[in-house]
Amino acid sequence: MTEPLGIRAESLSMTYRVPVRESGLGAAFRSLWRRQIRTVTALDAVDLQVRPGESVGLIGPNGAGKTTLMKILAGILKPTGGTARVLDQDPFQRRPEQLRRIALVRGSQPLGGAPELTVMDSLRYQGLVFDVPPARFTQNLDELVELLGIGRLLDRQVRALSLGERMRAGLAMALVYRPQVLFLDEPTIGLDVSAAVRTREFLRKYVVHTGATMILTSHYMTDVAELCPRVVLINHGTKLYDGDLTGLTDRVRHDKLVEVRLADGAALPDGLEGVEKNGRYELSVARDQVAPTIGRLLAGATVLDLSVREAPLDVLMDEIYRREPR
Amino acid sequence: MTRLLQLFRLGVVRQFLSWSGAWWFVVALAAGQILPPLIGLAVWRTVFPGSAQVSTYYLALLFTVATTASYENHTFSQGIYKGTLADELVKPQPVIMLPLSENVAVRAWIGLVAVPVIVLVGAMLTVPFEPGALLVALPFWLGAGLLRFLFTWCLAMTAFWSERVHAITAFGTTTLYLLGGNAVPINLLPSFWGDLARLLPFYSMLGLPADAAAGQAVQAGTAAIVQIGWLVLLGLAARTLWLRGLRRFTAVGG
Repeated sequence: MTEPLGIRAESLSMTYRVPVRESGLGAAFRSLWRRQIRTVTALDAVDLQVRPGESVGLIGPNGAGKTTLMKILAGILKPTGGTARVLDQDPFQRRPEQLRRIALVRGSQPLGGAPELTVMDSLRYQGLVFDVPPARFTQNLDELVELLGIGRLLDRQVRALSLGERMRAGLAMALVYRPQVLFLDEPTIGLDVSAAVRTREFLRKYVVHTGATMILTSHYMTDVAELCPRVVLINHGTKLYDGDLTGLTDRVRHDKLVEVRLADGAALPDGLEGVEKNGRYELSVARDQVAPTIGRLLAGATVLDLSVREAPLDVLMDEIYRREPR
Repeated sequence: MTRLLQLFRLGVVRQFLSWSGAWWFVVALAAGQILPPLIGLAVWRTVFPGSAQVSTYYLALLFTVATTASYENHTFSQGIYKGTLADELVKPQPVIMLPLSENVAVRAWIGLVAVPVIVLVGAMLTVPFEPGALLVALPFWLGAGLLRFLFTWCLAMTAFWSERVHAITAFGTTTLYLLGGNAVPINLLPSFWGDLARLLPFYSMLGLPADAAAGQAVQAGTAAIVQIGWLVLLGLAARTLWLRGLRRFTAVGG
């Protein structure tokens, strides 16, 4: 017996036809009767299988095809090739019973609809549109109010909310009908550090609590690292990697960073090289040389402080993205 | 069906509440609707001094214009431009609920602003209305409301293909003003042009209910056939535009 799948995409492709022309007045006039069209490939035969309850991060540079993939899975875009199934349904059919089981949250616009309404008005409307029985609505709302800390926002107009408050209210709107699949497009974009931390904490709790499947795109690697045990790297519409984040970073960097603070005026022992920053040295050390290097440091200098860490994720991702020309 | 009606009612209430925060904009919209017929009333009363028919017609026209106003070029088109239409596509309800409920809510607001003005003008001019004529006008008024919505929605849906939808709707609004009985009552046109204008959709949107309410000779059967015919045609046009536009929207993204 095969394991049930939350999401299955096979050879999913998406191409756009975009008008192009040379610059200048003459070309503009010529384009009136001789239009040139170029086909742009946003997704190229992408396969993806996600089990129920799994959290997957879609990563890749701008224009890689992440949002296109997410919109296809949410039923907003119709693919030009391949097939997609979400909870065993074709998402583009947009059947009401299917739409009641999925949610799409866009960080750039977490709260759609009427900005003059209060958050509670919007939530009630959402509950009715998604056919949530009153008792269940109250129960879900109580939980969300507690988890998201939005009690004080309920009687405020949407237009008067800050971006962080909008995101929390937007999450409540998307989750008040308890969707089984969450599509999150840049959920922490524009949020300050505290708001981003709270949003991530909430999402982690929600997924554990409800067993929901989550697909997330984000340029903030902290979101992906904290929320998604599995990442899918997409670039130029092609899937380049599917696995855990460590596996991806191991492909790029074979070193760790050793940061050390020495006693005043001390230099690094002979044979060791590092970059000095604010009285500290940062050494890039091959993974199998970390212990011997620390031994040499401790033996050859007066070490006041020492730490070993991975290269920052953003730096690693930059290296990965740069490997392929855009 | 009950659920659809409930969703529609909710949508109207939600949009009505939403527009309450833009009352100054509503006042501006209402003024934009009622000024042209008010000017028409002043001009044609000067041309035909003491004519009760002109006053009654323009007062009924004022009511029709205000209560059938449609602004899908401001509302629905913006959803296409901003991509927020995508949010509606992932809701388990027909997407037409959005423009339809917003249309009714905006009309209610404009009616609230405009009707006191109309009552005041009517009281100042002591305009007579026959209850029987108002009853005849009622179905034509309902048809006009639906027709004007479909007409504006069709024009607004060109936003799927063009970013210049306001130019297209401005042309539609001007045509409606000139041929709908606003600039000139259709009954005052030479017979050939009057007969032609009565066959066009614009008269069914404005002049027809006003003529009927003013008790002017209206061939009700013919007028109903013309109005229903345009309702069917514009309904089919709206459906075609929606399906094709949606295909385009879902092909290029929101």
